[in-house]
Amino acid sequence: MQQREEKQLEASLESLLSRVAHLKGSLQSFILKLENEHDRLTWPSVLDNFALLSGQLNTINKVLKNEKTPSYRSQVIIPLLLSPDRDEELVKLTEQRVPVFSHEIVPDHLRTKPDPEVEEQEKHLSAEAARIGPEVAQKQIQTLNKLCSNLLEKLNNPRDDRDSESSALRQNKPSFNPADTNALVAAVGFGKGLSKCRPPGSVPPGHPGQPMMSTGPTLQQVTIAGTTSHQPGMGGQVAQQQPGQPGKMPSNIKTNIKSASMHPYNR
Amino acid sequence: MEAPPVTVMPVTGGTINMMEYLLQGSVLDQSLESLLHRLRGLCDNMEPESFADHELVYLLKGQQGNPFMLRARRSLIHPKAPWHLRYLGQPEVGDKSRHALVRNCVDVAASHSLPEFLNEMGFRMDHEFVVKGQVFRKGVMKVVVSKLLRVLASGNTENTEPMSLSYLVELSVLAPAGQDTVSEDMRSFAEQLKPLVHLEKIDPKRLM
Repeated sequence: MQQREEKQLEASLESLLSRVAHLKGSLQSFILKLENEHDRLTWPSVLDNFALLSGQLNTINKVLKNEKTPSYRSQVIIPLLLSPDRDEELVKLTEQRVPVFSHEIVPDHLRTKPDPEVEEQEKHLSAEAARIGPEVAQKQIQTLNKLCSNLLEKLNNPRDDRDSESSALRQNKPSFNPADTNALVAAVGFGKGLSKCRPPGSVPPGHPGQPMMSTGPTLQQVTIAGTTSHQPGMGGQVAQQQPGQPGKMPSNIKTNIKSASMHPYNR
Repeated sequence: MEAPPVTVMPVTGGTINMMEYLLQGSVLDQSLESLLHRLRGLCDNMEPESFADHELVYLLKGQQGNPFMLRARRSLIHPKAPWHLRYLGQPEVGDKSRHALVRNCVDVAASHSLPEFLNEMGFRMDHEFVVKGQVFRKGVMKVVVSKLLRVLASGNTENTEPMSLSYLVELSVLAPAGQDTVSEDMRSFAEQLKPLVHLEKIDPKRLM
């Protein structure tokens, strides 16, 4: 009887060890990847790593739940000999992580109770649970179940239902205005809607009919001071912009031709 | 003295004939953020480059035909950088099935005496504006999301106002003449930006 139990214990321990070793290996490779290749990583490959880890944790859980595994809670590990000396065997076994089997490492490695902080939190939670009473708890459980099942239903249903509702929503909020597109392209293409600096002699009319937005068209006052043969950047002053007043604005054009242009090329 | 002959033939001799393939669209201010996020995901991984440029468009009016247009652009963020002079030809009317607007394009850098030089040559500044925005890149394709600002007082780039409540979105590729696969790639990229932005081939002559 005892032998059978011992054999079971050994077998389950071995399988647990191998699973944990796998998990450790994949964690190590994931950490290496994150440290060395983090700028080249893509989200799908990170997700793959997480999926691998979760799968391995799942198998460990299954091994623990397996009926053939004896209850580990009934086993006790008692340290028989603690020494502050370095133990080479131990170093080899633990891959250089535990060099000395001494009083410092025993509380961490042979711990069976959860960490003190975790214990505190558990106490809080169980006090909380006891406080609210069984009926309230039951109701909360039911709401949670309902929410989860709703969500699952939505996720599992075919995509077309979702698409039709969301496309209806999207139509109410257009993200571009074709009139604006035309206005901008015209402005970049040949300066429609931008103040024109005309050479002396020609008076630009106001631009009342420009298909611009509601802030109103700009007019310009062209003051041409051609006193030198160079014409430094055309001095144009633009009339005040009156926002909120679409349509025609009274022409305020003053042309002030001081001298004929002394340009070598006839215009 | 006669005006120098104005030719609309592309510049030849010693340079490759570069064509600009262009698709344009716009996005409203409120949808700008979603567009920028989408572009950051789709385009090459780099910090998006912001720019603020002042563009002056010069026209040379000959006795005949259409005036010759040159675009001079300087950066407001990097005032010491050279000016950029660009010539854009008429859109090629070849093939209706081509998905992008194709036009001849010549780009040169110029020193800071460019406006004076152009004035001496006989060009007159027709209009100017300020563009501010961001540039994204995907391979050879360049996506520019920019706000056009009207200059209220000529030469004064501090005093500007936006032209509209939208941002202009342009997808362009500079390629040597004759590569038609480029427009296919541009179209598939433009598909990915729908329905936020509809990038399409807009003929400027239609809007005159």
